[in-house]
Amino acid sequence: MTCEEMESRMAEYWGRTLDPQQQSEVEAHLAVCETCRAGAQRLGSLWRDLARLPTPEPGPGVRERFYETLAAYRDGAAAARPALKWVWQIAAGVALALAGVGAGYSLRSSQTVNAEVAQLRAEVGNMRQLVALSLLQQQSASERLRGVSWTYRVEPSDTEVLAALLTAVNHDPNVNVRLAAVDALHPFAASPVTRDAVIQALRKQAAPIVQVALIDLLVDLKETEAAPELQRVVSDNSADADVRQRAQWALEKLQ
Amino acid sequence: MKAVDATDNALMARVSAGDLPKLAVLFERHHRALFRYFVSLNRDRELSEDLVQDVFFRILRYRSTYDPGKAFTAWMYGIARRAGLDRARDRRAEVIGIEAIVERRGEPASAAPGPEERAAKGQNLGLLERALDLLPADKREILVLSRFQEMKYEDIAAALNCEVGAVKVRVYRAVRALEQIYFALEKEKAS
Repeated sequence: MTCEEMESRMAEYWGRTLDPQQQSEVEAHLAVCETCRAGAQRLGSLWRDLARLPTPEPGPGVRERFYETLAAYRDGAAAARPALKWVWQIAAGVALALAGVGAGYSLRSSQTVNAEVAQLRAEVGNMRQLVALSLLQQQSASERLRGVSWTYRVEPSDTEVLAALLTAVNHDPNVNVRLAAVDALHPFAASPVTRDAVIQALRKQAAPIVQVALIDLLVDLKETEAAPELQRVVSDNSADADVRQRAQWALEKLQ
Repeated sequence: MKAVDATDNALMARVSAGDLPKLAVLFERHHRALFRYFVSLNRDRELSEDLVQDVFFRILRYRSTYDPGKAFTAWMYGIARRAGLDRARDRRAEVIGIEAIVERRGEPASAAPGPEERAAKGQNLGLLERALDLLPADKREILVLSRFQEMKYEDIAAALNCEVGAVKVRVYRAVRALEQIYFALEKEKAS
């Protein structure tokens, strides 16, 4: 064994993770090479001392914020599946209405019930909008993250919430909030405002991870008008390599 | 270590399949180590706490990209590196006054213990800590992963996207560089 080969064995020698064959090869070399022997000893003692350095502990807020994020994410994930739920609710409603007519219920009373349900739904919708908007304005990033999750519970035609989400995408100082806000734009895809704003946001965004999320969103929306902007990203030498690669991929997808 | 890894991987596979509450177990197991990883690299407690949040948020968001055949820790530290780089980029983009930079440079000890703790720890460990702070970031990172996190070399290679052989050599060279700084500091102190 040469001194150079020792370089790749030393860390395992200190950590005692060499297999018996390698261990005896290293020991044989150390027995004859004084330089390596001295080095192994000196550096080995530093290696051991490293394990004695004090371990910094995170503050209790870290745990608290994690569980909040997890809860918000679960709410968001559960609320992101309303489409299917609505289909079933409508189907069940139709079935009930048919059964009602069959059983001789008057059309009038069913209309009254429908009006009450519609009013209740509007009130709940307002409440959700209020919660989402107020959380999105909080100082704490985890509160704003919860606000983004709440936006899944409002009607996708709510322009005020859409505007708040777009503000978060473009201006929120926290990268996670920006990222979550990009995801939350999916339900608002039908609006031409959203499509145009996503293209604009790609130009403004500095964090590569958010840029990639925006590009993915444009592909999901099949937004062919994004091609010139994507082309600009691909040819921008100062842009992140992953982002440029993703933009190239998106261009091919959108063709 | 192997058994723990297998459990980590199995847990992450569950999270990936939609069983989100299982992420809490992984958080409890790894958030301190992650915090130490970040503090060792940036010496900023507050920023490191934020970065720990970033990592778990990204794990949640990208849970479906996890490959259960690969070590969870390697995947997690890959994400951690990326989060650190993104944050550094965000910070560079911020307009910060020169005072703020000087202030930041002047407080590398924000994560270090107080004077009493330092005295109890003995001179050598204090010097060693300073030497570690002065080590170039890539060398510090590989020491943190191999020594503090006790990751397997295969997993470090996967997280750093390089060959296992290269990791072993880099660990050795990092300790050698650390020794040079350590002795320079010792000499400076003696003179």
